[in-house]
This record gives sequence, structure tokens and C-alpha cells, in this order.
Amino acid sequence: MTQDELKAITVDKSVDARGTSCPGPLLAAKKAIGQLASGEIMEVMSADEGTKRDIPKWCAKKKHDFLGIVEEDSYSRLFIKKG
Amino acid sequence: MENKKLTLALFSGSVDKLTAAGVILGGAAAEDMDVEIFVLLQAAFAFKKENAMTNDRVAEITDKKDEFLASLDRLNAPHWTEAFRMAKEMTNVNIHICGFAGKVWNGYKIEDFIDLADDICGIGEYMTAAEEADINLFI
Repeated sequence: MTQDELKAITVDKSVDARGTSCPGPLLAAKKAIGQLASGEIMEVMSADEGTKRDIPKWCAKKKHDFLGIVEEDSYSRLFIKKG
Repeated sequence: MENKKLTLALFSGSVDKLTAAGVILGGAAAEDMDVEIFVLLQAAFAFKKENAMTNDRVAEITDKKDEFLASLDRLNAPHWTEAFRMAKEMTNVNIHICGFAGKVWNGYKIEDFIDLADDICGIGEYMTAAEEADINLFI
């Protein structure tokens, strides 16, 4: 998805994991995605650099769609569509 | 599909290595791995009830211990016991105290250890689990 498309997404759940370091954002994503139905979209806000690689790989293993990343000033927004 | 299996021979009783173990357990929890942890020798010291929260020994770069511990606080890193607890809540994690290791530190019953520990076992249980594991680590 393009940056404009990602920024326009209305998410079903937003998880703020900016106060945690690896593996905090990943674990926050795992906890939260259990509350979503298949096809719903979640964003994870993270200030942890490693998470930008971890979450796409985790999504591939768990059959979720990783939609992309939007970079903000001091953190990243990672968009996941539950598989 | 059957969960992947991780076995961890946990020898270290120092917070730096226990914290690293907690990070790895977090990764295993995220992937729904089945985890078997075998608490050996110095790690059994750290798992004793009277030591778990007060033990602040580090194994490496010991001259920077204060900086290391302060950084863990600054980064909101959970205490290793909390990281282990989160992993136990999120996936199947069993923690076994080696019977010999327990006795070294005057721990004879499971009640002598923090409640993260599930039982006291012999090395045979570790060997069996490690043979079947997809990943086997020694820390």
C-alpha cells in the first residue's frame, strides 16, 4: 500500500507500544490481535527499530497481512490486517 | 499445525543473561512456541524466593554494571521475572528446577523457589525434551 493509503486507513484497533523495547511491541501486537476478527486492521505504534523487521516476519509466520509502515517524527506506525 | 519447540538450559544466575533469556522467551511467546526451561546451577540461585528480586549480579562487562542496570530502567525493560511471567501467560512455558542445582542452594522443595517454577526434575527430562526440540539454547 502507498503511504497515502496507509495514512487514510481507519483502524479497528490501535496499540501504543512506544514505551517498550523489543520484544514489547511484538508481544503487544500478539496480545491485541486476538481481540480482532479476521480482516480487521490494527496499527502498532513503536519506537523500537528492531520491531520494524520483527512484525512483518511475525505476520508472515502467523498468516496476517502486513500492510506497511508509516514513519512519524519519533516512532513508527505498523499496519496489520488479521488473517 | 503443531507448535515449534524450544528448550533452554538456563545456567546463568546473572541479571544480564536472565534478561537476555527473557527477550528470547518473548520471541518464543510471540510465535506460540512450546518452551521447556531447565534451571541449572547458578540459575537456581536466582530462582530462589529470597534472591529473585534482590539479586543484581551481572556476568559480563561488570565494570559497567550500574550503567547497564540504569539503562534497563530507562528503557522500561521488565525485570527478568516479569518477562518470564509474560511468556508463561502467552504460550506454553514449563520451568523445571534441576534437583541437584536446587540442593546446591539449599532448595529442596518447589516451594523454595519463585512461583514461576513448575517442578523439580532430573537431567533425563532435559535430555528427552532437547532431543525433540526445534531450537535448543544454553544460557
